[in-house]
Amino acid sequence: MTVLHRRARVDDRAFDLLIEESQDLHTDAMAVARTTLPDLTDFAADRRRAGTTRDELATTAFQNSRQTLIRRLALSVGGVLGAGVVTAAFARSAAAADGDIDVMQLQTAVSLELLAVATYGAALTLPFIKDGNPVIVKFAETTMAQHDEHRQAFSAQTKVLGGTDQTETNPKYTPVVEAAKATLLAPIDVVKLAATLEQVATETYLADLNRYTDVTSRVLMASVMGVECQHLATLRAVGALLDGGAPELIAIPLGADVAKLPAAAGSVAFPDAFEGVTMASPPEEGAVK
Amino acid sequence: MNEPIMTSPTLTRRHILAGAAVIGAGLVAAACGSDSNDAVATSPSTGGSTPATDPAADTTVGADTTVGADTTVGANTTVAPDGNVDLDVAMLAASLEVLAVGTYAAALDAATAGALGDVPPAVAEFVTVAMAQHQEQLDAWNGVITGAGGDAVTEPNATLKPTVDEAFAKVKDVAGAAELALMLEQIAAATYLNAQNVLTDKDAIMLAGSIQIIDAQHVSILLYVLGEYPVPDVFAKVDMAAAA
Repeated sequence: MTVLHRRARVDDRAFDLLIEESQDLHTDAMAVARTTLPDLTDFAADRRRAGTTRDELATTAFQNSRQTLIRRLALSVGGVLGAGVVTAAFARSAAAADGDIDVMQLQTAVSLELLAVATYGAALTLPFIKDGNPVIVKFAETTMAQHDEHRQAFSAQTKVLGGTDQTETNPKYTPVVEAAKATLLAPIDVVKLAATLEQVATETYLADLNRYTDVTSRVLMASVMGVECQHLATLRAVGALLDGGAPELIAIPLGADVAKLPAAAGSVAFPDAFEGVTMASPPEEGAVK
Repeated sequence: MNEPIMTSPTLTRRHILAGAAVIGAGLVAAACGSDSNDAVATSPSTGGSTPATDPAADTTVGADTTVGADTTVGANTTVAPDGNVDLDVAMLAASLEVLAVGTYAAALDAATAGALGDVPPAVAEFVTVAMAQHQEQLDAWNGVITGAGGDAVTEPNATLKPTVDEAFAKVKDVAGAAELALMLEQIAAATYLNAQNVLTDKDAIMLAGSIQIIDAQHVSILLYVLGEYPVPDVFAKVDMAAAA
């Protein structure tokens, strides 16, 4: 029996109950959110009336850092010609909706969430996923739904801040995902691709935190970050079990088989004591142009 | 190990939450008492999300208890003397990290002594690595504290410690130890998330976010080991957040 044909056990009933419980929590949360949306709209109107949609200091700092980067890149490619090329390349991204770094970060977040939803959706059409391990199927379905909720929350917050809603998938990683689709031949391939997207999202949201001028946006992003990193942890663990030839241990609940987990399964999900930002997308990457 | 790990837990979430809720009011009071971050008092809740971004909101303070923003509850043994909210958070975080390191160390000791029965290799690895990571995180916070002229925190959170001690005394097996670890990790992750409401220093914001991620990942693996879905929430919550 090959790895691809081995089916993990899953307690569907217990699993469904867990999902149902999570959905109930979400329903409650959305009910609360609906009651607060009018206040958010008022807040946005106040913010616009007060002329505080743009935080001038933060925007200036961001634009200064962009200019510094342009100068550095120009020097690296050579003289005035280089500067012109690089400046032209940046002109597009500099035309982000309103120049508010909070809005740009939220728009980039939406672009990543849209791509995540699309990627999990595509994965669920692959025969070795949709007909494979039930836990992986339910994880993909649940995670896709969670990413869509994140997208909605980021979109709502973008509008609250007076920005334009992003409707396109991330421009940097969409071609990466499209190119990868042809190489998805087994569950491990999908798990690794999804883990990459989750790590990009996690690190992007982390890198964004101290650039926010709006505390609400910062806390929202940290809240979503706290979920994306769990997707990543789960995918790392699942990937290790697939790589290790133990897909039967991808089961919920695992019960007595916990004893069969390799030692590495206890730590593979969190390789470092601190998360880095090396894979973080810059604020303007997914901003509305 | 031949028995399912998911045996009857020896402690309940409500038990731990009660402790977290009591000290939860502290951060609210500290935040509202500070004038270092005006945005905190004016930020509304976020559409489509569960985190309470306004520290004045009742929902930030424990799942079982509703405490108003002007209520002062809890033993503020780790509050910075000058009212610096960033330093308050650093000291609170360090005290939680001390508690985590100590609890994991106690679990390892108990396991070594055979008091928890057979310990699966993955669980032993988890405890060893998680403890080391919490030590690194403690060192980072203490670096922040001493860098600001304060004294390094070496004592566990005074409010939670008795509750954890009481719970640990009831732990008889790996499942019980995992439940206790889960509670501590959930409190830590929620605390770091909640801290984003009040932190002003950019490095502290990043450090808290970075550690929140690792602790949330600890939560996921513990949930999986305990037979639960590893990503149960659409949005990370603050209802278990502790405070100075």
